[in-house]
Amino acid sequence: MAIDRKRIIESLSRVKATPTEQGLIPAFNVYVNQFPTALWNSFAERLTRNVGANLLPVAEDLLVNAAHECGYHTGYGIITSEEWAAVVGPMIERNPEDVLYGAFAVFTAWGWAKADIAELEPCKRMVVRAYDYYEADSTVYGATSKPSAYMIRGVCAAFMDLAYGGPYDPTGKTGLNSFHCAQTKGIECGDDYGEFVVTASSFV
Amino acid sequence: MTNQTNHGGLQLTLAFDPRTCRHTLDGQSYVMHCHHYAALYTQLAEDCGMLDGKQLLADVAEETFHGVLSGYFARPELTSPAERFGAGEQYFRAIGMGLMKVTAAGPDYGEVTMPFSHLDAGWVKKWGNCDRPVNHLGRGFIAALFAAAFDRPRHSYAVTETVSIAAGAAESHFSVVAG
Repeated sequence: MAIDRKRIIESLSRVKATPTEQGLIPAFNVYVNQFPTALWNSFAERLTRNVGANLLPVAEDLLVNAAHECGYHTGYGIITSEEWAAVVGPMIERNPEDVLYGAFAVFTAWGWAKADIAELEPCKRMVVRAYDYYEADSTVYGATSKPSAYMIRGVCAAFMDLAYGGPYDPTGKTGLNSFHCAQTKGIECGDDYGEFVVTASSFV
Repeated sequence: MTNQTNHGGLQLTLAFDPRTCRHTLDGQSYVMHCHHYAALYTQLAEDCGMLDGKQLLADVAEETFHGVLSGYFARPELTSPAERFGAGEQYFRAIGMGLMKVTAAGPDYGEVTMPFSHLDAGWVKKWGNCDRPVNHLGRGFIAALFAAAFDRPRHSYAVTETVSIAAGAAESHFSVVAG
């Protein structure tokens, strides 16, 4: 494995998102925001716990979809950026597998989740484990029966889309949603880590 | 690893904890996301038929930012409304929400303009213009700013977006009224 995860995290955790005079942060072909994690968690928890059992799957899918699209477009911006080329590019020997491992180092460096790939079957299946993630902060006492890591689910699927879903499509009409992700364990559920299983979407 | 940045007089301290791989801004956990994420959360709030998602999004923004801003406003150099509104505008810019200006304010009312907005710019970039104001995150921030600036509890102010960049205007306007 050529990917030096520790070095990537050390380097890219230092990347600063500097706003323009207009208060916007254009980077990686998107506008970036830097909000408190409590805002995202609070919206997701209140939404999913208020919609009722019948609509819960719909609400959860929409939350995952937000991250899926974010991960697809921002992920592509990241792996085609100057920062990526300088730090991760020289480490890549196998494409796209090393790109995937590198992407999860960046995912970790930017505070989305301290996550890494536990298993990878190219083109088919990926298992990701997250040992610290902000979405688990919604539960501060006990263990919940409802896994809450919608953002991680979406981004994990998006990274597989970018690796094995065909050429990047800025319209999102192709490539995006080639894979989907299920959360099988969660720190918020009392497990030692969050576990995320990505498989090919059945309709592809 | 910590890093201090100055935003128009507002000193912010960024830190990265290599053990947890979390980022903090003055002790508050924060995370970078993109305009797709903010726009899709907003669209979800807009389309949510089972509850008032728009108000929910504004409420969670208000509650989150009220805590953050109240912390800053406890600093001895931020005691007057003018100092507090200035600091709020700088914080708004620092976190990439855009450019906001409180043009008039009293304990019972406020007028706010927003020449640039992350949410609106992202919405337009993603889907083009819409037929209604959609900056519920911005409404929540402004409600939090007024409540914190006047040392009032959360939900003390109602904020209405009266003019919207996403709806085609050159800048957004917000009206603030004490509840």
